[in-house]
Amino acid sequence: MTSEPRPPDPVPEEAVQGQVVELPAASRVADMAIDELEMIYAFIYSRVGNRADAEDLTQQVAMTAIPRLRQGSPASAVRGYLFATARSVLGGFWSTRLGLSESELHEDLAMAMPQSGYSEESVERVRQVLEQLSDNYRRVLELRFLHGYSLKEVAAEMRSTVGAVKVMQLRALRAAAKVRLDG
Amino acid sequence: MGERPESRVDRIVSGLLRGRRLKLRGGDAEEKEAIVMAARLAAARGGPQRMSPAFRQRLVKQLQATPPESWMTRRAALVAGLGVVAGAVGGGLLGRSLDGSGSQPGATAGHVVRPTNGRWVDVGSVADFVPGEARMVKAGAVGAFVTRNGDSVSAVSSICSDLPCELWWDSSQHSLVCPCHNRAFTAQGSSIGTYKLPSLDVVQVRVREGRVEVLGV
Repeated sequence: MTSEPRPPDPVPEEAVQGQVVELPAASRVADMAIDELEMIYAFIYSRVGNRADAEDLTQQVAMTAIPRLRQGSPASAVRGYLFATARSVLGGFWSTRLGLSESELHEDLAMAMPQSGYSEESVERVRQVLEQLSDNYRRVLELRFLHGYSLKEVAAEMRSTVGAVKVMQLRALRAAAKVRLDG
Repeated sequence: MGERPESRVDRIVSGLLRGRRLKLRGGDAEEKEAIVMAARLAAARGGPQRMSPAFRQRLVKQLQATPPESWMTRRAALVAGLGVVAGAVGGGLLGRSLDGSGSQPGATAGHVVRPTNGRWVDVGSVADFVPGEARMVKAGAVGAFVTRNGDSVSAVSSICSDLPCELWWDSSQHSLVCPCHNRAFTAQGSSIGTYKLPSLDVVQVRVREGRVEVLGV
């Protein structure tokens, strides 16, 4: 959670503000997009929580979006298109895994686009969500997820039983999912 | 007997904490919010992630082997999910003479938007439209630039045919400009410049008793 953010942008600042960046060759589009895909990967990882799924979905985004980008696409458009594709791919992922139609998925489940584009925002949001929970709920989630404790270890730490911790974990996750943060 | 919800969710949590793929079973959707939150928390544990060098290399190779399409089409935008807006707000060019009959000359290129359960939406009096100037209107979820030309009105989509961005009317150049890549279109929807883009789609428009109506939703 404390690692250094990656460099903010591979393209000049003015390009982000809308100036068209003329690219010398078609392969340059892919080069630029690969850098952008680092952000997409981090974004997807922050939503699915595991490397294997994140890699598959990032690859899906790349294969869908990048061949359609063309020379002269502004950096902001490349990023916007990649993120839009990522949101669509994530929607499909959750929809398939949960057996729900995408319309049944809540907007926040997978689709919300990070404002900054970096997954630090996701990490920070998780911290803010935890802060909104009651002490017990926050504690059980911190121990389990952030410190990687087993149920038994959490139970010992909280002087409870494995069964009770399991129930508390579910209730804490439900409560965390209900937290709405401003912005 | 079915799996208890707390056991169901802990099974998923345990898998995530071991770095495994999300494996969900029938019925897990009942706890979808908790499961999605668990995935986010599991992701937060390791902090921001970067692609592994091996995966990055694999991706580069795959991309290099994939020929680029000539441009990102509006269809591609739809596939990407951008079309939620582009599709709903998409439009084009379809003229109607001010007496409510006949079509606008030059309305040839884009597809005609035919909204399901479409309805005619009053977007103002004919007098509100300055001849030769495209004016942005909303007909429910359909956005369009309506232009009055003498005795006729025409309407084109407010969304670029290339990138899913909302156009704006540059009155000094008399053109519709896409802010996402500085491409321009005529008020009738044709691409301007040497690099031709698909023409804007057609939004249906008519005049009834001095009022301009656009087919929206």
